[in-house]
Amino acid sequence: MQWIGVDVGGTFTDLVLYDEADGSLRVVKASSTPHDHSQGMMDGIAALGVDLGQVAKLAHGTTVATNTALERDGARMAVLTTRGHRDVLIVGRGNRTVLYNIKTARPDPLVPRRRIHEIGERMRQDGSVAEPLDAADLDAAVATLEAEGIEAVAVCYLHAYANPDHERRTRAAIEARLPGVFVSTSAEVLPEYREYERFATTALNAYVAPRVRRYLASLRGRLAERGYDRPVAIMASNGGTLPSEAIERLPVGSMLSGPAAGVIAATFVGRTVGFERVITYDMGGTSTDVSLIEGGAFAMTSDGAVGTLPNRMMQIDINSIGAGGGSIAAVGDGGFLAVGPRSAGAAPGPASYGRGGTEATVTDANVVLGRLGTDAPLGGSLRLDGAAARAAVDRVAGRLGLDPLVMADGIVKVAVARMTGAIKEISIMRGRDPRDFALFAYGGAGPLHAALVAEELGMRAVVVPPIPGNFSALGLLVADVRRDFVRTRVTVTRTMPTAAIAELLADLRAEAEADLAGAGFAADAMRFEARLDMRYVGQAFELSVPVALAPTDHEAIDAAFRRVYEDRYTHAPDDPTEIVNFRLSAYGIGRKPQLVPVDGAGRSLAAARIGTRAVAFDARPVEAAIYRRDALPVDEAFDGPAIVEESGSTTVVPPGYAARLERFGCLVLERKERS
Amino acid sequence: MILDPITLEVLTEGLISVVREMRATVFRTARSVAIYEAKDFSCGLFDPASNVVAQSEDIGSHVVPLPWSVRSAMEQHGATLAPGDVILTNDPYRGGTHLNDVTVIYPVFADGRLIFFPAVREHWADVGGMVPGSMSGKATEIYQEGVRIPPIKIVEGGRINQAAIDLLLANMRVPDERLGDFHASLSACRTAERRIHELCRRYGVETLLAAIAQNMDRSEARMRAKIAALPDGEYYFEDYLETFQDGRLEPLLLPMKLTIAGDGMVADMTGASPQVPVPVNSTLAVSAGGVLIAVKSIFDPDAPLNQGSLRPIEVVAPPGTIVNVQAPAPAGSHGEIRKRVLAVMVGALAQVAPRLVAGDLCRTSFHNMIGGIHPRTGKEWVHYEWSAGGSGAFLEGDGPSAMATIDWGDLTTVQPTEVLETRMPLMIDFSLQATDSGGPGTTRGGLSMRRRLRLTSPRAAYSLLSDGAVLPAFGVLGGFAGAPVSSHVERDGVAEAFDMPGKVAGHPLRAGDAVVIRSAGGGGYGDPLERPLARVLDDLEQGYVSPESAHGDYGLVLAADGGIDVPASEAARAAIRAARVTLAVVEGADCYEAGSVSRRRICRINPASARDAGLRADDIVELMSPTAAPLRAWVVLDPAVGAGTLPLDALGRRVIQAALGARVHVRLLARGLLSASALRREAAE
Repeated sequence: MQWIGVDVGGTFTDLVLYDEADGSLRVVKASSTPHDHSQGMMDGIAALGVDLGQVAKLAHGTTVATNTALERDGARMAVLTTRGHRDVLIVGRGNRTVLYNIKTARPDPLVPRRRIHEIGERMRQDGSVAEPLDAADLDAAVATLEAEGIEAVAVCYLHAYANPDHERRTRAAIEARLPGVFVSTSAEVLPEYREYERFATTALNAYVAPRVRRYLASLRGRLAERGYDRPVAIMASNGGTLPSEAIERLPVGSMLSGPAAGVIAATFVGRTVGFERVITYDMGGTSTDVSLIEGGAFAMTSDGAVGTLPNRMMQIDINSIGAGGGSIAAVGDGGFLAVGPRSAGAAPGPASYGRGGTEATVTDANVVLGRLGTDAPLGGSLRLDGAAARAAVDRVAGRLGLDPLVMADGIVKVAVARMTGAIKEISIMRGRDPRDFALFAYGGAGPLHAALVAEELGMRAVVVPPIPGNFSALGLLVADVRRDFVRTRVTVTRTMPTAAIAELLADLRAEAEADLAGAGFAADAMRFEARLDMRYVGQAFELSVPVALAPTDHEAIDAAFRRVYEDRYTHAPDDPTEIVNFRLSAYGIGRKPQLVPVDGAGRSLAAARIGTRAVAFDARPVEAAIYRRDALPVDEAFDGPAIVEESGSTTVVPPGYAARLERFGCLVLERKERS
Repeated sequence: MILDPITLEVLTEGLISVVREMRATVFRTARSVAIYEAKDFSCGLFDPASNVVAQSEDIGSHVVPLPWSVRSAMEQHGATLAPGDVILTNDPYRGGTHLNDVTVIYPVFADGRLIFFPAVREHWADVGGMVPGSMSGKATEIYQEGVRIPPIKIVEGGRINQAAIDLLLANMRVPDERLGDFHASLSACRTAERRIHELCRRYGVETLLAAIAQNMDRSEARMRAKIAALPDGEYYFEDYLETFQDGRLEPLLLPMKLTIAGDGMVADMTGASPQVPVPVNSTLAVSAGGVLIAVKSIFDPDAPLNQGSLRPIEVVAPPGTIVNVQAPAPAGSHGEIRKRVLAVMVGALAQVAPRLVAGDLCRTSFHNMIGGIHPRTGKEWVHYEWSAGGSGAFLEGDGPSAMATIDWGDLTTVQPTEVLETRMPLMIDFSLQATDSGGPGTTRGGLSMRRRLRLTSPRAAYSLLSDGAVLPAFGVLGGFAGAPVSSHVERDGVAEAFDMPGKVAGHPLRAGDAVVIRSAGGGGYGDPLERPLARVLDDLEQGYVSPESAHGDYGLVLAADGGIDVPASEAARAAIRAARVTLAVVEGADCYEAGSVSRRRICRINPASARDAGLRADDIVELMSPTAAPLRAWVVLDPAVGAGTLPLDALGRRVIQAALGARVHVRLLARGLLSASALRREAAE
């Protein structure tokens, strides 16, 4: 049988086909079709020439939810909320994100205040009812929803995590009168306290749901026409997959779908080839995502955001910055050179794409430096226009009075400085030394800059995995099913008997088991992890602490908390702690593709070497060898300066570096001893 | 050495990255909650001439005044500083802010030469003094606010001065935590030293110093170009802080004379009220910091912050006044002066750069405290509440509602209801944007928050330390003022007000009592009668303005279908305009009246004119200006003044840009809280 992974991005739709029979991986890049992404996906499947009837598993990374949120192109929605608290979603935490600017406006809320309706009801923090649900208020609100043609409703009541009864009854009342309207309740989306973050996540879910639902329905329809009737697995932000029907109910959980798949792939490949401490570096056209993998595991966070909107769903801790190959180099007042955050995006794209872009981008700078070739098609069909790139870089160089080659080198250096800054945030600033890690580079532009980034940070090696341009799609095929469950109960740790702690976790586990069983997993394919969000009594924020599924000892819990605390803050006093959230992660373990060693028979460096060209380093052109990656022999090192080309990506091996293809097909770059 | 723009950019990013790493180090290693959770600390890099050369997401109210501390440190120790020395200080009278802001200044040497000071300013939760937390509204001398640390070498030649540490910690509550905070600052500076040395090795000391010099030069050039584009001249504005003497309002005058000459600017606060024995005063560094934050935020928000942007501005703040406090007056609550300095800068700049300014921001830090003994734990609890107000409107848009002001960083100002109710015996009955609190204008001032906090335990006490409870944030260019802060207690459905608005000390509460607070709204921009009717209707539908304000302030008349009745609205606008009280400006003298500490502007009006206008003695009025900020004054009834006239001195005419003979719209701002001097006058009559 065959498996297909499809990662849909803004510009390209990347596909990977895995054949169980021989372990082979085949890749295809198709143009994305933003009006209906399922079209680009079908084009890609057609290009793979695969019979969908023979496909055992189809996994999908999608940006539909994210783009709907970022483009503010979601449902006409309303919010029902507790009387007296209508402004939670508008005011948020009352903070300021733009410093030193007297003309700062508040970001537009997702839902205008006129569509936030107050309902008489009130829970206390212990779940007891302070004021019953006002049926007349509810009736009136539902009538308003109907009159206004609302497509989606977020029901957001205070302390609903402690008692969801009023939210449930509100949902029932809406669904009874308005079937077809999507209803999302805060206790279902995110049953933990802090109303702004919970409400915002719930509203975001409702906002994107109708469009995600339409998209997935259309996709399933098209796949069914072509003979695929198994579940479609969607990559979620937490690094696991969920059946598309589950994502329809909880689309807010898919906001990091594509980037999460890349991290999963890096974890998988890193483990296979023996790199367990890895910093991932996924540089695309408009953004760059970095994350840290240690001991074969990636960090998680619930402190996420989509643009200006908080997203508290449990997700892989990925630091994303708005700098990529399409980032534009511009000169501001006073001669400040800026690279990004403005981006040429997919349209018009860099000047060298020849689609009407005229501003110099990072990609254009790489063309001018000779690092990107203008002969071989990039990612399949696109041929780069060297003259257009030079003209664009010349213009910026002219404004600063610089030599064009110095300018191009400078644009790349400034971009690299931003990349290293992003990596420092997830390593040095959290007490991790990047020199202990390998840089795992993928995405269209990652391998192009990876050695420069690693050099800046003193990292020991760069690993460019197979199919770097389609790498996230590979991650889709190796991800397990994962669901995260959470319940808030604030309690001083030592006052809650361990039996009660174990019982609460067991309740979550029962819920998780039913869920996984429903998805077809046998008991021996299920795995569970328990965590407690804890803090010292009196503190405001928690750390997530791994604990046994059935803890028997307060001291073991506190000791685990102190370990996590000390790792983060370097010290951990022996003070009383409290528990805020109980969390359970449930995994349905599936089969994984096996990476097969490269068959190096008959390959040689000489055969792989397709020529030379002038490539500039530090603005000085040197003659560099050009290699075809798919013809490189195994474990034969070659020295930089060299360029390794393949479909979808280009790897730069600078002078002073040596590269080799290791046996699973990863390209490993290491600095040679300084002589 | 002239660097290419690329090396310059890479080094700039490198230096900012050093500061970020300092921040991360403090965050990771500090011991107090205020530091690692509220992030009440800042880091920066300074040069030996006390210029700030780099910062990141740090708090303006910390970083911008820090060069004054560096300068004091250099004055004291510059001649003898050697590698291995570290300076500690919190002295408000020598470049500091308040005693809780404890600063470590760390000299970094390269090739035997002093090149940098990484510095960390942390808010220490307690530095001794008369109350836990050290800041007390009752302090009359600085000795009650904690231990004062002049710039001392806390580390000398690599050896910690243990005697000094022991002495300091012996005078602070929770000394272990303070020691941890000190070490956090030290680690951050050591990290910075290591990174600076790496940069020096890679690029060379000269290149690094050239990069800093060039960065400052180009920021300075940008700022000078902006100032040079303004017409030369003297611009003037005045505002007040609110204190009460013997239970009576005693406004403290804060004047600002802004001189623009060529590409430079002098901000002169000569004439400010003498310092007072209550915690209102601020230090020179804080006052000057307010000036600089205003200039940066108005003229050049985009450039990364360094001293270059601030070089073209000179600040004059006479010693012994509320803007340059001298020993031994208290300095604990300095934020109010900083906010008022921002206000007078906006007011003065409105006269010269009306398109760049905004209505006044929310005027006050609005410190509310409710506390008592928790019935469940038996321990003391305190809820500290500082809900942000609205900021001022500007040409392009409405002011932001309930958002931290520009002198604060990215601080949370509205705390989660669910967390509060879990931790404190309180129910938050409502937490809403206050309808009509934003100053009406062509663009509207930001709205403030209105919250009701109900006590669920047997007893507690409520305190408030705030300004802006009498004088609200002003609008500009004919925009109206926002709402002042207010607070009252509801008991059994009856509202109990306080006699000294904004100042409440330990008011007793019992179960079921509710404290109702409202922060301050931002000022409007432009005449509200010019606001597009569609936006007024939108505000009405969203509940941002009431039907009364939509009609009364904006002239909106609705048609039967709920849409806008345009002709009727136009007629209503004309009627509102015609009904405004206007007086003709005539030459005036003696426009100030002395109080017991300071002085305030008065507006002499003929009693008959006042009666026609519905004004009474001691009312506070705004003299509106369609082209600048309004002038505030206290009404004095004076039969010697001609009917229908408004005597105004040259300074006052300059503020509102009104010539003799011009008709000025006089708007009632607040009904008189009779001041001591007014009572004396009444008694004499």
